[in-house]
Amino acid sequence: MTLAIETIGLGKRYGTTWALQDCSIQVPQGRVSALVGPNGAGKTTLLRLLVGLSRPTSGQAEILGLAPGPSEEFLSRIGYLAQEVPLYRRLSADDHLAIGAHLNANWDSSGARERLAALRVPTDRPIATLSGGQRAQVALGLALAKRPQVLLLDEPVAALDPLARREFLVSLSEAVAEGDLSVVLSSHLLHDLERVCDHVILLASSRTQICDDIDTVLASHKMLLGPRQTVSRTKQGLDVIKATHTANQTRLLVRLDAPVLDPTWEVSEVSLEEIVLAYMGMREVASPGPLTTVRTAS
Amino acid sequence: MNFLVWRLHRHQVYWAAAALAALTVLLIVTGTTMASDYRSFFATCSATQSCSDAGSLLFRGDGAIIDLVNATVVVPLLFGLFWAAPLVAKEYEEGTQNLAWTQGVTRRHWLSTNVMWVFVAAAAWAGTLTVLVSWWRSPENALSGRFDAFDIQGIVPIAYAIFAVALGLGVGSIFRRVLPAIATTLGAFLTVRIVTAIYIRPHFMTALTKKLPLALSTRGAPPGAWILSGGLVGPNGHYYGDGISLDQVPAACRVGAFGGKGVTPNCLAVHGFHQWVTFQPASRFWTFQGIEATIFFVLSIALVAFTYRMVLRRDA
Repeated sequence: MTLAIETIGLGKRYGTTWALQDCSIQVPQGRVSALVGPNGAGKTTLLRLLVGLSRPTSGQAEILGLAPGPSEEFLSRIGYLAQEVPLYRRLSADDHLAIGAHLNANWDSSGARERLAALRVPTDRPIATLSGGQRAQVALGLALAKRPQVLLLDEPVAALDPLARREFLVSLSEAVAEGDLSVVLSSHLLHDLERVCDHVILLASSRTQICDDIDTVLASHKMLLGPRQTVSRTKQGLDVIKATHTANQTRLLVRLDAPVLDPTWEVSEVSLEEIVLAYMGMREVASPGPLTTVRTAS
Repeated sequence: MNFLVWRLHRHQVYWAAAALAALTVLLIVTGTTMASDYRSFFATCSATQSCSDAGSLLFRGDGAIIDLVNATVVVPLLFGLFWAAPLVAKEYEEGTQNLAWTQGVTRRHWLSTNVMWVFVAAAAWAGTLTVLVSWWRSPENALSGRFDAFDIQGIVPIAYAIFAVALGLGVGSIFRRVLPAIATTLGAFLTVRIVTAIYIRPHFMTALTKKLPLALSTRGAPPGAWILSGGLVGPNGHYYGDGISLDQVPAACRVGAFGGKGVTPNCLAVHGFHQWVTFQPASRFWTFQGIEATIFFVLSIALVAFTYRMVLRRDA
């Protein structure tokens, strides 16, 4: 089956700075993928390259086997919602739906209207008079009305309050349940997306760190607790993502392919958020308790 | 795409249509009056032998409306400033290009439809206006020639409008912000127009020179001609330009030197002085219109090509 998204060595440079470098990912169809990473990790750049709004400096990308570019065949398959939720401020949602019907071959106005009506979003008033949550719903409605096969959403919930955020994700989940749709949602907070996603792409330091199903990611990462010791980046065949030390214990977050056989380590499960934060080089909030010094190994 | 263009820009069309309609009514009413004044004046002036005073006797009460008609010289610029400059720039400024260019039509299709309609609209408005103004000015044209109002009649207003629109599009695609695009369009348009009118247009074709008896004023030049320069020419064929200093005047003509009486033209004429004028004859009006329009059309084509490059090749 054709991959929803495939990139090989994709890179984008602005001036002398690489916004995205050597990004190689494969996302199968039907996934709802969380694109996470710290600010400036290249999430927006990656999405803009994928929809053809900008061109790569190096490497290549394909969506459903088609290179992003100015062809109607490609454009008819993708849906994109940019970070700032772009809409024509003086036009109403109805105007936008009417325009969409003229610009897209496979447009579904009635579905969008029903969804907006259920959320009590006024469709006859200028966009400028709507709240941020209502605008996001209109924009999502437009993106879905296009009936895309791959939908790319750039920080869609960042500007929304918790209630609007929840409604937005519920709308999205319903749409995903209705048809075969692949979705990528970006956010710098995994927490926003974890509920609706089954796949994760982690960008950090402008590079891809993880691109896999969440179940696989969880299965391949463990927390090891053992006597205090110095560790190197790779220890006994383990890929150490992060090490923390207390006075007499060492705690390692590792990526591994096989069970840990060394009996000195106590193995425990680790949450997706911990894994993502470890890759981003951030430190989890220290748990309360009589802690001594906490140091982070490089 | 036509639907999108109409939904987004219909209010601009309504405003422009209202302004043009108001101007049309005004010009038809006053133009009809002027034309009948003109006809009745020439029907009767020969009786009083005052036909040569037509320029000073006719249309004296029409100062404000004449100013208004002359002010239509800025209309082409308005299309560039308020239709074309924001067309691409506003999409970028508000981020809506991210919406428009991820719909089911390509960026090229989007651009072509917008560019086509803004050119059609600007040409239609400027064309209507120039037809109106050319008709309104026909009595004046008969009296003082078309070169007096070269920039507001004939085909050049359409060329200026096309150029202003192409300039606005090109500048908007560079800056991607509305206000800098409008400001730069304004500056660039005025620069090109003024430089062309003052420094280039007089040299479209080699000007003619004519020697005239000194007794006549420059009205002795061919009627309707565009007078570029004039002055005195001496008995030895020397051109003096606009003025002549007193020590160059033959002694016999220095009436009580510095006595305040000055030099009499009749005396200079007797001593072999003439006046000369260089001019473009009235018959060249349409040739000049064609040359000037061609210049602006060629510039416009280059600017449109540049706009396509900026919009299609650069990252959105």
